[in-house]
Amino acid sequence: MKHETPQPHRRRRIIFFVLLVLGIILALRFTRDQPVDYTSAEEHFKYGSTGGERDAGIPVALWNVLPDLFAKYLPGPGYASLGFIYETNRPFPVGVSQRNVQGVDRVFLNCAVCHAGTVRDTPQSPRRVIVGMPAHGMNLQAFERFLFACARDEDFNSTRLVDEIAQRKSDDWLNRLLFRYVAVDLARQRLITLAQRFSFMDREPDAGPGRVDTFNSPKVLMNFRMEKLPPAEWIGNCDLPSIWNQGKREGMWLHWDGNNNSLEERNRSAAFGTGATPPTLDRASLKRMKEFTLTNTPPHWPYEVNLAKTGPGEKIYAEYCARCHGRNGRDFTGELVGQVTPIEKIKTDRHRLDSYTEELCVNQGLLYAAYPDERFSHFRKTHGYANQPLDGLWLRAPYLHNGSVPTLRELLEPAERRPAVFYRGYDVMDRARVGFIADVAEENGRKYYKFDTRLPGNGNAGHEGREYGTELSAVEKDALVEYLKTF
Amino acid sequence: MRSKIIRKLFKLLLALLLLALLGGGVAWYKLFREVPEPKWADESERFKYGSIGAEFSRGIPYYIWEVLPRVFPEYLPGSGGYKSFGLVWEEGHEMPVGFTKQVIGFPRVANNCAICHVGTWRSKEEEAPHLVVASPANTVNVQAMLRFLINCGKDSRFNARVLIPEIRRDVKLSFLDRLLYRFVLIPLTRSALQRQEQQFLWMNRPGVPDWGPGRDDPMNLTKYFMTTQPVDKSIGQADFPSNWNLKVRKGTAGTNLFLNWSCDTPAVRSVLIDSALGLGAAPDKKSRLSYPIDNLHWKLKRRAWFEKRMDDLDNFLSNLPPPKYPFKTDEFLAAKGQPIYEHYCAECHDVGAPRTSKVIPIAEIGTDRERLDTWTQAAAAEANKVVKSLGINRPDMVKNEGYCSPPLDGLWMRAPYLHNGSVPTLRELLEPVEKRTKVFYVGYDVYDPVNVGFVTQGAPAEQHGWKHDVTVRGEGNQGHTYGTELNDADKKSLLEYLKTL
Repeated sequence: MKHETPQPHRRRRIIFFVLLVLGIILALRFTRDQPVDYTSAEEHFKYGSTGGERDAGIPVALWNVLPDLFAKYLPGPGYASLGFIYETNRPFPVGVSQRNVQGVDRVFLNCAVCHAGTVRDTPQSPRRVIVGMPAHGMNLQAFERFLFACARDEDFNSTRLVDEIAQRKSDDWLNRLLFRYVAVDLARQRLITLAQRFSFMDREPDAGPGRVDTFNSPKVLMNFRMEKLPPAEWIGNCDLPSIWNQGKREGMWLHWDGNNNSLEERNRSAAFGTGATPPTLDRASLKRMKEFTLTNTPPHWPYEVNLAKTGPGEKIYAEYCARCHGRNGRDFTGELVGQVTPIEKIKTDRHRLDSYTEELCVNQGLLYAAYPDERFSHFRKTHGYANQPLDGLWLRAPYLHNGSVPTLRELLEPAERRPAVFYRGYDVMDRARVGFIADVAEENGRKYYKFDTRLPGNGNAGHEGREYGTELSAVEKDALVEYLKTF
Repeated sequence: MRSKIIRKLFKLLLALLLLALLGGGVAWYKLFREVPEPKWADESERFKYGSIGAEFSRGIPYYIWEVLPRVFPEYLPGSGGYKSFGLVWEEGHEMPVGFTKQVIGFPRVANNCAICHVGTWRSKEEEAPHLVVASPANTVNVQAMLRFLINCGKDSRFNARVLIPEIRRDVKLSFLDRLLYRFVLIPLTRSALQRQEQQFLWMNRPGVPDWGPGRDDPMNLTKYFMTTQPVDKSIGQADFPSNWNLKVRKGTAGTNLFLNWSCDTPAVRSVLIDSALGLGAAPDKKSRLSYPIDNLHWKLKRRAWFEKRMDDLDNFLSNLPPPKYPFKTDEFLAAKGQPIYEHYCAECHDVGAPRTSKVIPIAEIGTDRERLDTWTQAAAAEANKVVKSLGINRPDMVKNEGYCSPPLDGLWMRAPYLHNGSVPTLRELLEPVEKRTKVFYVGYDVYDPVNVGFVTQGAPAEQHGWKHDVTVRGEGNQGHTYGTELNDADKKSLLEYLKTL
């Protein structure tokens, strides 16, 4: 040993050093977990991460090539045709968050994909994005079906996709290597598995824009035997809700059927929809979003209000509505606010109610069990629908839990005089009846969704009769609607 | 030179010793460290969720237990995870009733008495179920659950490659835990489940009827688990009994009251101990997971704990009152029914009466005899020996040739009736055999206050329930024809009175 020249010694040291540096670089790269953050709370809500990308994330490179490669599966150009909202100078639409995980930039959905919507004053006006409003134009089911269709397409293979990605020079050679040999196949497999599990949705009427089947999805995630599900549970389509003034809702029974009274649990439950599981949930980020929703308020009705009518309208509201829906759009006090009205009384479409079951409820008690402070313990099975505060009511059309009545004025008519068929997803306000204009089938090449109240789950009956104001005179109804504009 | 070698050897030994100590410490921490149970609000909560000591030798690792229904839904009877076995599961609770979760090294899941002894009723479908502690678990299909676990163990996908990713959707596993699950817990759990398959082959023989909800085959379970008796052709599916108000089952010295359907046990203490042992509360020589350390553990610590736990259970159940009938009763009618009860029923069913909790010979009672024939003198003798060998003193099991005549406390919640649950309602029990229903559905918990029993006919009962066919072996609804010749008015009065028991 002693007789060796220093030469190989030095060489060995250099090799060791180079390997060490390489090792550190790789280690840093493959342990990377870095979300794109936003300083403003509202921007964070729109684009921040819930942690879903960690496991469910779609590589940005893939996200970008899919609409071009598989345009045939989209109703129009790009993701916007599914209802995603694009703001200027943003690479991704509202509700899509970005995070670098293990060196790969990935995107997935966040809360805003369902809880930010648009409104226009006239067909010529620009779209205003309103955060916290139901994403009434977003067709999540169509987005899922698009991804599933891509995964089943023979062009969804690593050669084809990675060639496309290479042409756009979006990722470096190491990531492209990963895509080629691992990521694309993995993505396809997972999407196909998900497609099989979600095939249940083909046996119910389409959700259409602004709606989801909230509680059949967790059954799928828990891998319930969907084929053994009693038919009464099959259809759970319901409107995406607004999420303003959440602080004032603390303690109220949340979700359409009032099955949970904890904001925290409701949020974590919804976060499953953004791909965030107990180990991957970004708790600090979700907390920021929660805090934002505690105090975020809806914008005021921006058009004229006839003050001669709001006075009488207020009186009618106090007599007919306040007990269940709160004193007004800011003050939610009321004897039955946040409580459940039995289905025999409210008589609205019962499908959504029946889709949530005791079986699901107790299984949810196992969710987050590894994190005892976060375990779901507030879910319950109810037998009716919850009475909600009406803040920002004008932006929450169409009405009832299943979005089966296009405008407030029509909600004050008995069911047989409510429109049987109308269009959803259009975002110009109907200033007389309050709600979105619901007779536009198509505009500038974009098709709107034909909603048929005669299909199961879409029924527009209920919330009617003397107590619900449908027997008021036309003048009184107009006055009440005028007053509701101030919410 | 020599001293140098010795010093080196010494250092090596020391290093090995330290390593062994460290390894042992980690192994103890990860496998055997006992974390005390939470403080239970009351004895009733403890009954529903507290340990009876079965986690040590029969505990399934919690995270494996949690993901099995997601990985193997095809072995479940319906949608809804473990709930599809009809388990009683309170809203907001992590564990179903009768399931315990305790950390012994790692979190483990086992069962306690409540799996078979907490039932539910509701007045209509659209109502949360009301729990009744110590009532028969009328909705719970224990056999389907056993079969599910066995089928999981047989499946080649019961391996780390499939289970660990599923577990990691619920919890972040440390590197050490991943190793532990991959190389120890998953393979050991699988082989334990596979051994269970062998132990349960007897219940899958052709011609052996299913237990259905609210029942098991108690004496065959005892025979094949506690003793080495050979598998015979007997079958004995029988209702879970109620076990509230046990003080009335005790009597005084010399009264010789029996428990179990065919009077197999002469003392409350024996029933409690034997049932708990059956759930794995003692070291189980067939379980390799914790053997031999659990034997040692049993001797050092567990036995004293177990005997204390049994005393506490005895105390709780002895003084737990039977549930009151939750619907309206007609006091006037019930008063008319009382003398009828006293005339026809009291001799065998009134607490303290000469023939209550006694053997009614099979020739006299005339009910289905299959359950009676599952138990033998030899089995009783061997079971007694096994329990003694564990160092436990309890009155010996016996063999009798008839069925027991228990007190009727909380009778309304003990439907369906007779030992094999072959008569759906009390009203029907007052009918002659040929007029009793031949096919009905059990396991649905909506109550029928008119006939006194659960609803067993109609679409919801068929959807939620299990078909009981009285023509199947062991399911016969004959016998116990007392009071069947009363006129309708008297039957009505008697029924009203029975509601008040």
